[in-house]
Amino acid sequence: MNSQAAIVTTDPSIRNTILALYEEVVQGKDGASGAPLTDDTVLLESGLDSLGFAILVARLDEELGYDPFSLSDDPYYPQTFGEFVTFYESNRPS
Amino acid sequence: MTAAPGPVGRGEAIAFEGEGTALSFDAIACPPPPLRGIEPGAAVALHLADPVKLAWALAHLGGRAGRLVLVAADTAPALLAPLLAEAGADLLLTDRDGLPALPARALRWDGLAEPTGPALPPVGIETEWVLATSGTTGAPKLVQHGWASLTRTVRRGGAPQRWGQVYNLCRFAGLQVFVQSLLSRSTLVLPRLDRPLAEQVATLARGGVTALSATPTLWRKILMLPESASLPLRQVTLGGEIADGFILGALAERFPRARVVHIYASTEAGAAFSVKDGLPGFPAAYLDPGSPAGALLEVREGRLFVHNGGVRPGYLGGARFADERGFVDTGDMVERRGDRFHFLGRANGMINVGGNKLYPEEVENVLLAHPAIRFARVAAQRSPIMGQLVTAEVVPAAANAPDPAGGRELVKALRHHCQDRLEPWKVPALIRVVAALGPNAGGKLERRPAGRAA
Repeated sequence: MNSQAAIVTTDPSIRNTILALYEEVVQGKDGASGAPLTDDTVLLESGLDSLGFAILVARLDEELGYDPFSLSDDPYYPQTFGEFVTFYESNRPS
Repeated sequence: MTAAPGPVGRGEAIAFEGEGTALSFDAIACPPPPLRGIEPGAAVALHLADPVKLAWALAHLGGRAGRLVLVAADTAPALLAPLLAEAGADLLLTDRDGLPALPARALRWDGLAEPTGPALPPVGIETEWVLATSGTTGAPKLVQHGWASLTRTVRRGGAPQRWGQVYNLCRFAGLQVFVQSLLSRSTLVLPRLDRPLAEQVATLARGGVTALSATPTLWRKILMLPESASLPLRQVTLGGEIADGFILGALAERFPRARVVHIYASTEAGAAFSVKDGLPGFPAAYLDPGSPAGALLEVREGRLFVHNGGVRPGYLGGARFADERGFVDTGDMVERRGDRFHFLGRANGMINVGGNKLYPEEVENVLLAHPAIRFARVAAQRSPIMGQLVTAEVVPAAANAPDPAGGRELVKALRHHCQDRLEPWKVPALIRVVAALGPNAGGKLERRPAGRAA
């Protein structure tokens, strides 16, 4: 990681965990594979419905050990996949 | 205003706006046939898919019909006949095709929603409003409301708004938005609810809605859509489910110019109170006599009871749900912390996953039907997206044979097992394999929600 960067840098491990669990949840839902995920993909148009995202957040809580929605002082709902990843990165407990 | 809606107001101001339709307050005083032909005092059931027609029928027949029975357009056809018989409806006003034989005369409204003929003077009948509970288990039950119970939390005065309608108008919450909009001479923007949510939100943004009411679940979805950025909201209302601090905070953040209010209501209890300070739960002072709550509140053994004068104390043709003093058991568990009550969940253990309800026993029975499972316990877990999610703890039948992957294979098999047998929201989002289920203090299996609802 670039320690000189003042802004939040992308942590590949968090992104990869999110991607892996995202795939797992999508597969679990009748195997309907969504379109390729980019940072600009709108979450609710990515092939997962809101129940799917709720499941993803719950499994990420188990896997990563935290839920940014309950930790964040700044209540906010990410809209795109990129915002979702950043939300997890910037609210990771230190 | 204590009687029926009566004169809906005059003027060029727009009362209802739908796709390609805008009707002024003047225009809705001039209803087309078949609305025009309905005799005052009739018992009319409304079963209309077009939200503008439904709104017009409500505005015209409220204060004119003796009884108005609201039958949501998505009601299963097989349920219609018993529902109409139970509700005692003589007429069924509908724009729907392929209806079965029904115990009420069908009156079709196929034409456009266009004003016709001279204005009809108001009649001023005290209409009985009959709503069906959403009835997730079994047939819907009918509840009767008067004008007072429908309008308890309606804010009088103030500048007209542009209200968006994303609730079904046949449900209690939808009716509340309707009367609020009508009584404040606001414009009601009515998107078609059978369109995708992003399209509905875009319609609301184009319509410039300044006020919108939705369930916490729907608000979370709206906030996750980029279209929400163009909603010029000054009033944000939550109802239908318990609002938690996160969604209240997120709404205040996204719509900084808006007043954020959550309403506590149910079909049985009517509109009980609204909370305007933007915080979850409600002030303990709402239990004081003469409090701003509106309805009388009591907490008995941690359960919230509501007394709402305008609601009939029992289901139509069925069981009474209020006690001898007129209080209705809401079934919601509350806990006092400082000067505030917080909601803990449902007393009967019912889990609410984004508005879809289920009982843990149903999921437990499905899990126990799997040969590899000896014990199962299902509970709710708090979810920032759906309010609650289903979680399960299972004890394998083979005591000393957990697979090396920490039960991963078993969890996978159980998930498939549940997916084949349960609706998606009932399938446990998380399944944990444990050695034993710990009993709670009472010796019974713990069935309280694992996370606090709010």
